[in-house]
Amino acid sequence: MKRTAAFAFGLLALVSLAGCNFGKGPDFSIVSGSENTVIQPIVEEFCKQKNATCIFKYEGTLDIGLALQSEAGVGEDAVWPASSVWVDMFDTRRRVKGLTSIAQTPVVLGVRKSKAEALGWIGKQVFMKDILAAVQSGSLKFLMTSATQSNSGASAYLAMLSSALGNKPVIEPGDLGDANVQKTVKALLSGVERSSGSSGWLADLYVDSARRGTLYDAMWNYEAVLKETNDKLAGIQQEPLYAIYPADGVAVADSPLGFVDHGRGAEVQTFFNDLLVYLRTPDIQKRIAATGRRIPLADVSAPPEPLWNFDPGKLVTAIRMPEPQVIREALTLYQAALRKPSLTALCLDFSGSMSGDGVTQLKNAMRFLLTPAEASRVLVQWSPADRIVVIPFNSAPRRPMEASGDPLEQEGLLNAVLNEQPGGGTNMYACADLAMQQIARMPDVANYLPAIVIMTDGRSDDNSLFFLNRWNAAKPRVPIFGITFGDADKTQLDGLAKATSARVFDGGADLAAAFRTVRGYN
Amino acid sequence: MAISRRAFGVGLLATGAVGTGGYLVVKDRPELQGLLGNRLNLFGFIGGEKESFLADPDVVRALGSRGLTIQSRVAGSVEMVREQALLSQKPQFLWPSSSIMVDIARQNGIKIRDDRVVLNTPIVVYSWQPVADGLMQAGLVTKTAAGHHQLDLKALLDAILAGTDWSKLGVNMLYGRSRIVSTDPNRSNSGFMFAGLALSLLSGNLATPEALAEFGPKTQSIFRNMGFKSPSSGKLFEQYLAGGIGGEPMIVGYENQLVEWILADRARWERIMSGSGAKPVMLYPRPTVYSSHPLIVIDEQSQRLMDALTTSALQQLAWEKHGFRGPLGTPTGNLDGSLAGMLPPDIDAVLPMPDAGVMLPLLGLLAR
Repeated sequence: MKRTAAFAFGLLALVSLAGCNFGKGPDFSIVSGSENTVIQPIVEEFCKQKNATCIFKYEGTLDIGLALQSEAGVGEDAVWPASSVWVDMFDTRRRVKGLTSIAQTPVVLGVRKSKAEALGWIGKQVFMKDILAAVQSGSLKFLMTSATQSNSGASAYLAMLSSALGNKPVIEPGDLGDANVQKTVKALLSGVERSSGSSGWLADLYVDSARRGTLYDAMWNYEAVLKETNDKLAGIQQEPLYAIYPADGVAVADSPLGFVDHGRGAEVQTFFNDLLVYLRTPDIQKRIAATGRRIPLADVSAPPEPLWNFDPGKLVTAIRMPEPQVIREALTLYQAALRKPSLTALCLDFSGSMSGDGVTQLKNAMRFLLTPAEASRVLVQWSPADRIVVIPFNSAPRRPMEASGDPLEQEGLLNAVLNEQPGGGTNMYACADLAMQQIARMPDVANYLPAIVIMTDGRSDDNSLFFLNRWNAAKPRVPIFGITFGDADKTQLDGLAKATSARVFDGGADLAAAFRTVRGYN
Repeated sequence: MAISRRAFGVGLLATGAVGTGGYLVVKDRPELQGLLGNRLNLFGFIGGEKESFLADPDVVRALGSRGLTIQSRVAGSVEMVREQALLSQKPQFLWPSSSIMVDIARQNGIKIRDDRVVLNTPIVVYSWQPVADGLMQAGLVTKTAAGHHQLDLKALLDAILAGTDWSKLGVNMLYGRSRIVSTDPNRSNSGFMFAGLALSLLSGNLATPEALAEFGPKTQSIFRNMGFKSPSSGKLFEQYLAGGIGGEPMIVGYENQLVEWILADRARWERIMSGSGAKPVMLYPRPTVYSSHPLIVIDEQSQRLMDALTTSALQQLAWEKHGFRGPLGTPTGNLDGSLAGMLPPDIDAVLPMPDAGVMLPLLGLLAR
């Protein structure tokens, strides 16, 4: 009897133990383009079913590509960039397996409806040459992500290049040197009013600005992101963005999900395979389609919304993607010559608390940013047309230094920064104020994409109210980005960024990487 | 129950006799080799398009019953007969996707014990019903009495070279110039075969070195117009299905790819066929080329694999579950349901591939 009881108890213990582990799924991490935030809940439901812990991390598609290309690779178990082109281009070590398209969405131009009406574009076929004419006559400006950091910007840019080549089937090596092509695309890109490294952030910028009464004309983004944006705009009683599908061809993002094997065992691989199957079941496809994405052959799509010309069932002609080498050349050309020049004021914290490691890291980051050979490796190099202002600061701004993006001038600027020594207190507002004045003084400021970037590790004397009053009265209204370092007080930078439609990046882990990212925003 | 000693002895003798007789019977029956525990592991490289065939549990079982366990690794057809990095792994067999690879293997000093084409699948063009309808109006596609679509590939290539718009080819829904896309001929076999076929068609005959000199640049131009080329046939086919009519109006592939895809999920296919969207259509170029799948025996023991693959049981599985035709290019079984009648029993116009002396320099030209 005693034995039976012991046996029963043992069995019970065993069962309950098994119960704890039973069906426990793996930890699974995905690095994805920002446009997938809306799909995350659908994936998380699957993770829950499998009792797995899923972690999403959002990065620009080009960042995912660069990580794949690097020695270290990506740390996550899966990549979900906006387009498979970047995986083909950057994954030279063939780390990504089972890359599978989940949905398609073309990159289109959303134009504020009253603006589209004024341009006579409602219900009409619009070609890239019509867009060019509107930009050149000064009647159209737009938001567009950086072509060297985000897939939607790169797609819009490649569509512009394709169109500028005339009716050629594909961009070939040699085509990019054509002076007329460069002139046309440069003129198109002069329409950029704000840029960013992330399509999702750009869409948020549009909505937030509309909420505050600043109405931008237009935005290049994914058809599906336009749908999300218009849903939000309807919620705040703002007019929608009317979808223009350039008739001479658009680039289509194919949103592929791929597995990166870190040797974590069959369980992780199986989880990925099951996730793919799940995402392709008819019910889930229906829900993905409801977000405005296209799923060919699935016979599901969101209902058309004629109010803003949305119809995911409507056929769009895709531009043919060029050879990877040509894409590389095109991106270099964008960064070095064709994009709208940037006017960037860098406020660098040289207060006493930066002494030692802080200053070393800051100087290393500047060495990266102001050395063309380094910066061009990740496509954030300056062009001679850019203007760079560096203002070291502590309790007051020190002497501003100014240069163009010419390599020699960059070198002079770098040497000056390397000579700066830390000491004293912290007042970032005073530096931002001086930066604002420097920018306002620049001739032809409208020809530049201006930005102020404040890098700080500390808590600043609080002049925010006074400063923001001055900012509101100033022209142009320059966005103020922040890069935090060490145990910086993020709330002050966040406040500035929010009030000026900008963004704060964490430089704690890698200061150079943070500076690289912020470059995508102007 | 008691058994007498005598009865026990007789019984033992009888079991022995049956056992011995059984052994003798099994020994001569290759399909029962597995029963004897006479297992043979064979390692070799295969083209990616045969991966799911060899991974099919029915195929594994059929080979297993003959005592065969196949360890295959996927490699490009061209690289498996040329790359020292692969050959130094001492494959016991190679199973590329084109007969020319046998010549190239020989030229590279690989000691071939035997070679035989065990499967075939023609190169086809995948498109969409609205495109096919337009091309029919323009006279580039004709429909046979049995409902199969035949494509005048030569005329299509000429139209592409002339920069003809889709609308001129009867396809009004697509903007811009007509195009066709294949895989990278230097990395993948379907692109490689298409390059050979295109060169022959452009030169008006089976391509020779002289034809290469004259028509090589035109072939190069066709491939340049493709822009980005996928490294594998499987990837391109996925791209075609995912991209739809606007993204991938026309691609080059193997006949068996669609069959495998349909069989992988028949309900999905039924949904597509009854749905409202554009439907995939297979166009048979006339003439086309066969992607033949020669098994190259390097280690004598691999002969057993060749024998197994040419049995009717495996040939039937190859056709009915994976859409591969037999050594003669004909069906080796029966397809059922929606697949019956979808594929023509015979491919009546087939060109041979130009020989290695033409294809290798053509590859060099297309890599530029």
